Amino acid sequence: MSSAQFEIQLIASLVAVACAIPGTFLVLRKMAMISDAISHSILPGIVIGFFITHDLNSPLLILLAALTGIVTVILVEYIQKTGLVKEDTAIGLVFPALFSIGVIMIAKNANDVHLDVDAVLLGELAFAPFDRLVIAGHDVGPKSLWIVGTILAITVTLLFTFFKELKVSTFDKGLAASLGFSPAILHYGLMSVSSVTTVGAFDAVGAILVVALMIAPAAAAYLLTTNLKKMLGLAIGFGIFSAIFGYWVAHWLDASIAGSITTVLGLVFLLVYLFAPSKGIIAVLYRERQQRTEVSLLTFLLHLKNHDDLSERHVKHLNEHINWQKVRSKTVLDLAIKNNMITIDNAIVSLTEKGDEFTSKAINYIITNEDTQIEDMKDDFFLFRG
Amino acid sequence: MDITEYIQLVFTDYTLRTITLGTAVLGAATGMLGSFAVLRKQSLLGDAISHAALPGIAIAFLITGAKDTNTLLIGALVSGLIGTFWIRGIVTKTHLKSDTALGLILSLFFGFGMLLLTFIQKQPNANQAGLDKYLFGQAATLVESDVWLMAIVTGICLIVMLTFWKEFKILLFDADYTKTLGFNTKTIDILITSFIVLAIVLGLQTVGVVLMSAMLLAPAAAARQWTNSLAMMVFLAALFGAFSGVFGTAISATQNNLSTGPVIVLVASVFVVFSFVFSPSRGLLFKQIRFIKNRRDLELHKTLAFMHHIAETHEDISHPHAIKLLNNFQGYTRSTLQKLVEKDYVELKGNMWSLTKIGFETAANLYTKQVTENE
Repeated sequence: MSSAQFEIQLIASLVAVACAIPGTFLVLRKMAMISDAISHSILPGIVIGFFITHDLNSPLLILLAALTGIVTVILVEYIQKTGLVKEDTAIGLVFPALFSIGVIMIAKNANDVHLDVDAVLLGELAFAPFDRLVIAGHDVGPKSLWIVGTILAITVTLLFTFFKELKVSTFDKGLAASLGFSPAILHYGLMSVSSVTTVGAFDAVGAILVVALMIAPAAAAYLLTTNLKKMLGLAIGFGIFSAIFGYWVAHWLDASIAGSITTVLGLVFLLVYLFAPSKGIIAVLYRERQQRTEVSLLTFLLHLKNHDDLSERHVKHLNEHINWQKVRSKTVLDLAIKNNMITIDNAIVSLTEKGDEFTSKAINYIITNEDTQIEDMKDDFFLFRG
Repeated sequence: MDITEYIQLVFTDYTLRTITLGTAVLGAATGMLGSFAVLRKQSLLGDAISHAALPGIAIAFLITGAKDTNTLLIGALVSGLIGTFWIRGIVTKTHLKSDTALGLILSLFFGFGMLLLTFIQKQPNANQAGLDKYLFGQAATLVESDVWLMAIVTGICLIVMLTFWKEFKILLFDADYTKTLGFNTKTIDILITSFIVLAIVLGLQTVGVVLMSAMLLAPAAAARQWTNSLAMMVFLAALFGAFSGVFGTAISATQNNLSTGPVIVLVASVFVVFSFVFSPSRGLLFKQIRFIKNRRDLELHKTLAFMHHIAETHEDISHPHAIKLLNNFQGYTRSTLQKLVEKDYVELKGNMWSLTKIGFETAANLYTKQVTENE
C-alpha cells in the first residue's frame, strides 16, 4: 500500500465519520432529505466562492458554500411556513432552482473557470493526495485531509459539548424547550454542521455521495439499535468500513472510488435491512406470520369456549366453521396442542384448564379494550410460539 | 434576434422545432402527473426515482452494448420501479421514515450508477461516450422519434388518467373511503406511481436525473395556487409545464453556453414564485393585503365600540366629547377617526367628537350581528 493509497483511505474514513455524526441526527429528526437539498444547492455558493478565490480548497469558499446551504434551509422553512405547499414539496422546489443557477453560472463562464459540474457532484478522491498543503516549505499532507480533519474535529467537539441538548431536542422537542434549550439554535446549529460537512466533503466524495454517507450508515444503525450512543457508534463503524472496503473495490474495478463506497454502503444497508435481528425485513415477515397464527389460535380458542355441543367442536367442523385452509388449521391445532391448551378426544376438541384460563383472560382484555395486554400474556402462557 | 424571427425559426429549423416540441410535451406530461405526486405528498419521490434510474441506464448499456435510447430508457424504467418499490418496502416494513428511505435509495442507487458509469468508461467500447448526458440531460440530442415516443406515452397516460379519473381522484383525497367502497387501492396506487416513474424516465434525456424532480413538482405546485379543483389543477400544471419547456428552450437557444435543462427548471421556478405571490386566493401578496385590511377594520370597530361605550352613559347620544378621551385607547389613531367621520358615524367639531345616530346604531349592533360590508 503506497502512501497515496493510505491517504485516500484516511480521507475517505474521516469523511465517513464526519458525515455519520450529523447524519444520525438528521435521520432521527426525519430531515434526511434536507441533506440532499443542501448537497445540491451549495453549488451556486461553490461557484461564487470559486470566482472570488480561484481555489476549491479555500476556507472562504467553504464558508460561502455552507452559507448557501443554510440559506436553502431557511428558504425551505419559509415556504413551509406560508402553507402554500406541503412540507416536502418546499424542499423539492428550492434545491433544483438553486442547483440550476449554479449550473448556468458554470456554463456561462466555462471559458475562464476550471470547474466542472461533474466534479462538484461526483468528486474525485483519487486526486486528493496530489493537492498538498505546504506550510513554510514543509509538506504536511493533502489539503483535503486537513479540511476534512478540521471539520471532523469541530463536529466531534460540538457533539461532545452539546450531546445532552441534541439528544433531548431530537426525541422530545417540547421537553427540550421547557428545559431552556433553544430548539431554533440547536436546529440551525445542526443544519450549519451538515452544510459545512457537505461542502468540506464534496471535494473528496462529491455532493451526492455525501448524502449516501450521511443517511445510509445512520439508517442501517437505526435498524440495529434504539440507543443513540450505540447508533452513533454503529453508523461511524459502517461508514469507516464502507470507505475502506469501497476503496479496494474501486481499486479492483478501476472505477470511481466515491461510487464504489456508495455501492458498498448500499450492500451494507441491504444486508442489515434483510437480516437485522428484530427490525430486519426477514424478522418482520417472520413475526407477522407468527402473529397471524397466534391470532388464529386465539380465535380458535374463543370459538371452543363459546360452544359446548360436541358437533361444534368436531375437528372437521372447525375447518368449515372458521373457514380455514387445511394447512392453516393444522398449524393452529398443532400449536394449541403443543402449548397444552386443548385436548383431542375422538376427534372432539376441548379446552384444557390452562386453555380455559388463557381464553377467559383474553376475552377480558378484549372487552376492556386492552388488546395490547394480550401480547404480554402470551409470554406467560406460551411454551412455543407460532 | 427578436421574437417574430425566433418564432419563424421554430417552424423552419428542424432541431429547434424538435426540441421545442419535445420539451413542451415533456413539460405537459410531467406537469399532469406531477399534480398527483404533489397532492399525494410524494413530492420527493420524483427526485429519488430519477436518481434511481441511473444504474438502470448503465446496466442496459452493459447488457446490450448499444446506445439505443429506447433500450436505455427501459433499463431506467426498471431500475426506477425497483427503487420505488424498495422505498415502499422500507417505509411499510421497518420503522425508518419516508425521508430516510427516499434519501437512501436516491444516493445509493445514484452512487451505484456512477460506479457503473465510470466502470463503462474504462471499457474498450467506442460506443460508451455520451452516457453521462443522462446526468444533466441534453435537449439538443432529441430527435423526432424521441418526441413521438414522448407524445405517445403522454397520450397513453392521458387516456388512462381519463378512464380512471374517478378512482384516481377519490384515492387522492380519501384513501380509506376508497377502500371501503371496494376499489382495489393497491392497483390504483401502483398505476399512478408507475406513470409517475414513466414520466420521469422520459424526461431523463432532456433535463437529466438531477433536475428531473423539479419538472415534476414546479408546474404542479404553481397550478395548485390558482385552483381548488383537481381537473383544473392538472390542466394548469400541464399548461405551465409546457410553457416552461417552450420558454426555457427559447431562452437557452438564444444564448450561448446555456444548457436547456437548468433553464427550463428556472423558468418553471419563476412560474412557482409568481403563483406564490400573485395568486388571488392563496397568494402571499393578497394574503398580506387582506391581513392589513382586516387589521384596519378591527381597529375601526374597536374605536367605534369604545366611543359607543362612552356615549351610552349620556342621554343624548350625540353629546360631544373631547378627542383627548380617546388617547388612552389603543385602537385609536387620527386616521381611524377620519375614516369614521367619512362613514358618517362620527361628527367632529373642533376638539370634540360626537356619535351620529347611524354611528350609534352600528356600534350597538357591532358584536351582535355580522357587518356585511366588510366581507
